Amino acid sequence: MTRSTAQRSGLIIPKEAASLSTLTATMAVMCYLACLAIGALILINRAVDSWAQGLSEEVTVQVREMETRDIDMDVAAILARLQETPGIDGAEDIGRKAAAKLLEPWLGTEGLDGLPVPRLLRVRVNREMPPDFELLAQELSAVTPAASLDTHRRWEAQLTRMAGTLTALSLLILVLISASAVAMVIFATRAVLDANRTTVDVLHLVGAEDSFVGRAINRRFLATGLWAGGLGAVLALLTFFVAGHAGLPQADGLSAASRSLFYLPETGWWLTPLFLLAVPLVATLLALITSRVTLLRMLRSLT
Amino acid sequence: MLELNEIGFRYGRGQDILQNVSFRLQRGAFSFLTGPSGAGKTTLLRLLFLALRPAHGRIRMFGEDVTRVARSDLPPLRRRVGVVFQDFRLLDHLSTFDNVALPLRVAGQRPTHYARDVMDLLDWVGLKNQAHAFPPVLSGGEKQRAAIARAVIAKPELLLADEPTGNVDPVLARRLMHLFAELNRLGTTVLFATHDQSLFKQVRAPVLYLQDGGLRVL
Repeated sequence: MTRSTAQRSGLIIPKEAASLSTLTATMAVMCYLACLAIGALILINRAVDSWAQGLSEEVTVQVREMETRDIDMDVAAILARLQETPGIDGAEDIGRKAAAKLLEPWLGTEGLDGLPVPRLLRVRVNREMPPDFELLAQELSAVTPAASLDTHRRWEAQLTRMAGTLTALSLLILVLISASAVAMVIFATRAVLDANRTTVDVLHLVGAEDSFVGRAINRRFLATGLWAGGLGAVLALLTFFVAGHAGLPQADGLSAASRSLFYLPETGWWLTPLFLLAVPLVATLLALITSRVTLLRMLRSLT
Repeated sequence: MLELNEIGFRYGRGQDILQNVSFRLQRGAFSFLTGPSGAGKTTLLRLLFLALRPAHGRIRMFGEDVTRVARSDLPPLRRRVGVVFQDFRLLDHLSTFDNVALPLRVAGQRPTHYARDVMDLLDWVGLKNQAHAFPPVLSGGEKQRAAIARAVIAKPELLLADEPTGNVDPVLARRLMHLFAELNRLGTTVLFATHDQSLFKQVRAPVLYLQDGGLRVL
């Protein structure tokens, strides 16, 4: 009798007296949006890393046609010079046709044959020991005044700036989502406390500390944070999965981006889900800490 | 045990509810508190169970000036005071057992430790068979006995009762009165607020009469 009675101790604040279903639903949406923002953040960083790596591994040497010079001889001389330069892993002429093809989007296909199309040399750079590009540019100019070196630094800088802006935007979205979640938890905490004033008064009268009352109410927010966060993360994972496998021609980029979140064997497929599963933990912590601080403040204002 | 010195109280900017109220309760004493409606009995009791602070004057309880203690130091003092309300103030979502056990639960005791004491007390107040019933299905008398059991389960040194017989029939009122007298005989100091002067005959005790904010001993 004694043991069974003890085991059946009722909840001080019952579930039905602290209904947080609205908060759970809205927080689940917030967590879902947070997961999407995190997914975007991961995608941006991976894309920029891969682009930046490609750009820094290669430089381009452009050899222009000059009336007084033979362009083929200039190209051969430049290639020979490049092969001898330390820090260069290889160089190749992409050919006149390929160079002309690069101009097609601007000039069209007609009449390119008569134009003095510059020759482009693709140069692979050793990432560990890259050459001194300033010195290399001077050396190439000395070989032929028709040669110029493009290190892609301008593109890389623009890319980094764009990635930085997108990352900052994603982080701002995460901060705004967190702030909204905090505000919602504060309102919900006040509502729960108002709905349970009689219970709280009785608890105080029988000698309960604020921390006891806080714990009794906080339990409900623990469940809310875990549910909402879990639901948001699972929905976001499903969204990425469906977007990656939907095969909609109108959303090719989105599909490829979603797939790339999961299929990166070199970094481990589990990294993305791990990041997204951090959302329920953060949401729970946020709900717990916010409701606790709000509760203790409000309880202190009571007699 | 309890000493009030020149206590005054008003709600907000309203008129004085209590004016220069002074009295003293010795340890183990039993006193009635009476007076017309609106005389300030409930306000006085609220001051004594530390739900209000006086506008002026001093209240010494258990050798401590409770008008000066910090809010965070109130819970341990409240645990030494048991309170019974006319409207019971039981929590409807908790069983009779859990309601009675509440003071022990908030004091951090584990159910396995207090379960036997709670059942013994429920037996003593005649509610053993209602241990798992919830307040909405209890009668007025049963609720009041559960409220009394909750007030005394933690063995308080001071028991304050605010019209505990106000919602029960005369026969049950006499039985409850007998219960308070028994608790007092076991060592608890009791201050019993009531309108019912017939109860004064049951227990020979000083009567504190509150009228127009002032107090006199009959």
